[in-house]
Order: sequence, then C-alpha cells, then structure tokens
Amino acid sequence: MECVTILKSTGKTARNIRDLRAVIARISEESLFHHTYQYFLKGHVLEYTNDFAYWVAESLEIRALSERLSSIDPFVFEDLSHLRQELLQSIDDYIADFPESRDAISGEEFYFNETVTIIFPVGMRAKNLAEFLLAVRYVDPASIYYHFYEARIRHGTDDFSTWMDDVLGNRELAKAICAIDPFMHNIEGIRAHIVEAVENDVRHDMEVIRP
Amino acid sequence: MINRYSGISPKGDLILLKRLGDKLAGKSFLHVNSTKAGGGVAEILHRMIPILDELGIKARWEVIEGDEQFFDITKKIHNALQGNQEKITKKMWQHHFEVNKKNVDIMHLDDVDAVLIHDPQPVPLIEFKKSGRWIWRCHIDVSNPMKEVCNHLFRYCGKYDAAIFSVARFAKAMGIDEFIIPPSIDPISEKNMELSNTEIHATLESFGIPADRPMVLQVSRFDRFKDPTGVIKAFRIARKYNDCMLILAGSPATDDPEGELVLNEVKEYASGDPDIHILLLPPFSDRQINALQRAATVVLQKSLKEGFGLTVAEAMWKGKPVIGGAVGGIPLQIIHGITGFLVHSVEGAAFRIRQFLNNPEMSKRMGERGKEHIRQHFLITRQIRDYLSIWYALDNGGKNKLDLSI
Repeated sequence: MECVTILKSTGKTARNIRDLRAVIARISEESLFHHTYQYFLKGHVLEYTNDFAYWVAESLEIRALSERLSSIDPFVFEDLSHLRQELLQSIDDYIADFPESRDAISGEEFYFNETVTIIFPVGMRAKNLAEFLLAVRYVDPASIYYHFYEARIRHGTDDFSTWMDDVLGNRELAKAICAIDPFMHNIEGIRAHIVEAVENDVRHDMEVIRP
Repeated sequence: MINRYSGISPKGDLILLKRLGDKLAGKSFLHVNSTKAGGGVAEILHRMIPILDELGIKARWEVIEGDEQFFDITKKIHNALQGNQEKITKKMWQHHFEVNKKNVDIMHLDDVDAVLIHDPQPVPLIEFKKSGRWIWRCHIDVSNPMKEVCNHLFRYCGKYDAAIFSVARFAKAMGIDEFIIPPSIDPISEKNMELSNTEIHATLESFGIPADRPMVLQVSRFDRFKDPTGVIKAFRIARKYNDCMLILAGSPATDDPEGELVLNEVKEYASGDPDIHILLLPPFSDRQINALQRAATVVLQKSLKEGFGLTVAEAMWKGKPVIGGAVGGIPLQIIHGITGFLVHSVEGAAFRIRQFLNNPEMSKRMGERGKEHIRQHFLITRQIRDYLSIWYALDNGGKNKLDLSI
C-alpha cells in the first residue's frame, strides 16, 4: 500500500509564539496530524521532528523550545488531544520563562494546513524474505512512510516488523526493524536500514546452512 | 503515452493515476486559460491534455479571446495581485467581465463535469456556470496583493467549488476549499528530454555562443519581476575573478504587452557587452532552451516575485546547480544548501555564482540531489494525479481520507 497527500490550507497562520499557541489550541486534529505525524512523509530536515519545531527554530530562532518540541514522540499518545496538550504545555512553559515574543519576518509566518490523503495498493506482494528485500529496495518513499510511520498510528508498530514476526515467525529480524529509530533518519535512511537488517538476517541464515 | 513515464516518474504516481482514471473515465474536464503560447501554464496544458485523454477522461482546453484592452487590463490585474500599485477603474472591470461574457458561447460550458480556470483572465466565467465542479487555479504569487484588486477578483473566486494555489502562503480566506498544488515539468517533453552533445553544441553555435567557456544562464520572460538587470549586475560582480559569460534567454507571451519594453531596457543595460548574450526566442523554442540549460555551468532564476518558477525545476532536472530568489515557489524546489542556493540580493547571487564556478564537485552533488527532488515532487504525473484527486475528493463529499484499494 501507499498513501499520497494533497495539501489543503486552513487559512490560519501564526506570526509569533503566542499566535502559534492560540492556533494549536483550536486547530483541527487533521491539521495537527499533518504537522506532526506527516512530517516524516516529506523530505524532512533531520534536526527537527515536526513542523512546529522547525518553524520555531528557523523562523523565530527560539532554539530551546524547538529542541523541546522536537523531543515529543507523537507515537506515544493515545489520541491527538493528548498530543495537543503536550505541545501546548511545552509552549506555555517557554512563555512563562520568556514572556516577550518576537514576530517572524513577513512571508515566514507559520501556515496551518491539512491534507486530503489517498490510500491505494501499489500492486507488489512479497511472500518471502527474498521477495520482500527486492520490493523494499524499489517501492516509492511514500510506501515506506505508509508501512513504517503511518502504521504506528493504526496499530502501534510498523507493518514490516509485524509481518516478519506474525507471518514469517522471524522474531529476531522483527526486533531489528523495530529498533530503527524513526526520528533519526529520513525515508531513504529508513529504507537503507531495513535493507541492511534483512541482508544481515539472510547472510546469517546462509552461514548456518554449511555442509 | 503514459507508459513513457515508466522508469522516470515515481511508480506510485502512475498507479494512482490509472486508478483515478478508472474512476473518472468518460467524464469531461475543461481547462481555460489566456494563451496557447508562452509561460508555464500553456506549456503544461499542452502536455497534460493528451495524458488526460489517454486516461479515458474527455479533456478539452479553451483559450479566452480578448482585445488589446482586455490583455492590458488583465496584465494590470496580474501585476496588482503580485503587489504592484495599479489603477483599475470600474469601466475596466466591466470590460473584463464583458469579454468573458462574449467567450461563453465558444467555451461550451454545458455538460462539463469539471472545469479548471487558470489565473485571473477567465475568472468571471464562473458567472455562467451550468454544471460540474468549478475550480480556480491561481498560478500567481498573491501573498502580498493590492487589496482592492484582490477583493474585487475574489468576489468571483468565492463562487467556485475550490481554489488551488501553488504555495501555502498564497492561499486566501475565500470561504471555499483551498488546495496547495505545485506545478510541474514534463520530463519527456522537448524541453526536458535528453539531448545529444552534438545537438547541444549545434544549438550554441547557431546562437554564436562559444561552447568552451563557463556559462551562467537565466531563462525567463523579459519581465521586471524576473530581475534581468539584477542578473546582469550579479554576473558583472562574479566575472571580476572568474571567466564566464551570461545568457539571458526568453520567449514573448501573447498575454504580456510589457515584454518588449523590458527587453529593450535589458539590452540597453547590457550595452553591447560581448560576454552577455540576450536571446529572444520564438514561442515553442523548447529544444533550444533544453540545449541551453544542458550547456549551462550555473543556472539562475533571480526572481523578485514568482508564481512558481518552473525554470528552476527544468534546470534541476538536468542536474544543474541552481541559484534562485527566495520568492514564490522557488524555496519549495531549492532546499538551501542541499539542492541549490536561495539568494536575497544581487550580491548574494554573485557570491553563489562564484561558489559554483569554483567548486565543480559541490555543483555536481547538489545537481544530483536536485534531480531526485524534482523526480519525486515536480513531474507532470504528480500534478495530474493531484488535480484528479481533488476532483475525485469533491465528488465524494470533500472527504479528507479516500481509500482506493477497493
């Protein structure tokens, strides 16, 4: 499967940290979802883990708050309302210490968007590890996103390790894929680590089957 | 034709296109703009219509016809939307509307399933809507428009089912769904296809450009927002320590009456400098532009205002190091320091030209990254995919999540 997204403007913008807080407090869950979970679908900058942290650092130059926002793991929350609370708490703590806010320069305001998401099958099926290795090398980045990131929202973990464990019964490989830090790589980096984990597993198996 | 994109466009885009084509097959899709030649909109429509046809969609492209006065007015509207101060009288707005009204019959607006109106010239056609989903596609940088002109035009725009802007910050609160879809280039068109070295050299020779010197190139209409004189200034600073020549190449557009005036200004500013070649190319000089871009050492798009700046994507697709003004859609294409450099001044442009000329390894690295960035995000297959997705989403009650696996 793969998913593509088309941006939809909410018409809401923020010029400074107080604006950002005010809009985050009332913006739709779709918009929150886009600026946090879907950050990984973009060719993202690895210094940050969501659009808010990126903007706070690059446009407002508030590094400490950006670091705190970047440390929020969206996959640990039960629902978006808890994620929203965490974002607001981080901003409130900062404002309590530094009440004076500065504006982003014109044109660098934060633009709140949502997305229309379309999910569709890409017509590739892997029945074993060899087929999986071939497929994972060539599928589009959006397919890796769907199975590695988006899956965590659907069932708490990525699709690849679930399949390795449940279908192939290969718990070691499942663990190796689970151990890939989703925040420290872009999608191509994730792909490279999955390929490496599978190749290591295949190599290990080949070494065991000696005459 | 769509099979020709296999191995070039992302696989998922092609699969989704076919799926959406199956869903929308037999329906009609009308595009209306203001010129058949010149500019990015006409260029992309020339390529898009046959692809839509092949997907089974009855695609049609109509061009609004108007007199000289109409195009003078719409140029003023265009400039005002980009932030220039322009006086547009009640009489002028009336003429804008009347010309649209006269075009209704040739447009055959009955029985269309979806209509995409490009830019401000044909916007009042919405008043004659009979059927289908009507979407306004704004290709212009409207981030800082003249309010009065904007408000007048948006009275029409608010009657559409949805609007599409190229960049998020162009979107306006019009009370309708507003989508963000960047434009695109066609990798297999004459402008972007691979060319042989023989052809590239022959093109340079035909323009009297030596092939053995580093070449700085800007391809764009002769329009003040593209800052051609700023490019000449930057080139003159860079040339101080670096042997190079500058090529400014552009085609005229029928909907741009200011083009000739600006061209003359630029010629005067270059004042016969033998290292500056100013090329006014006839419309449809795509192959020559392709050759120039492939021959370039560094490509500039030093715009001051920009709808999107597709020449940036074109140059990046050819693996070239690109320097662009940080305006409009250029920052979406150039990730500063990764796929090229963004600049904010003549001096900044000059500095980056010198950096690229002196560091071929860095130029190559950024060029390669740039090409992949364009492949993933700025090819025509992605743009058609997005248009059809929006149409399909509007037909399905504007849902935010659509599952096409069934």
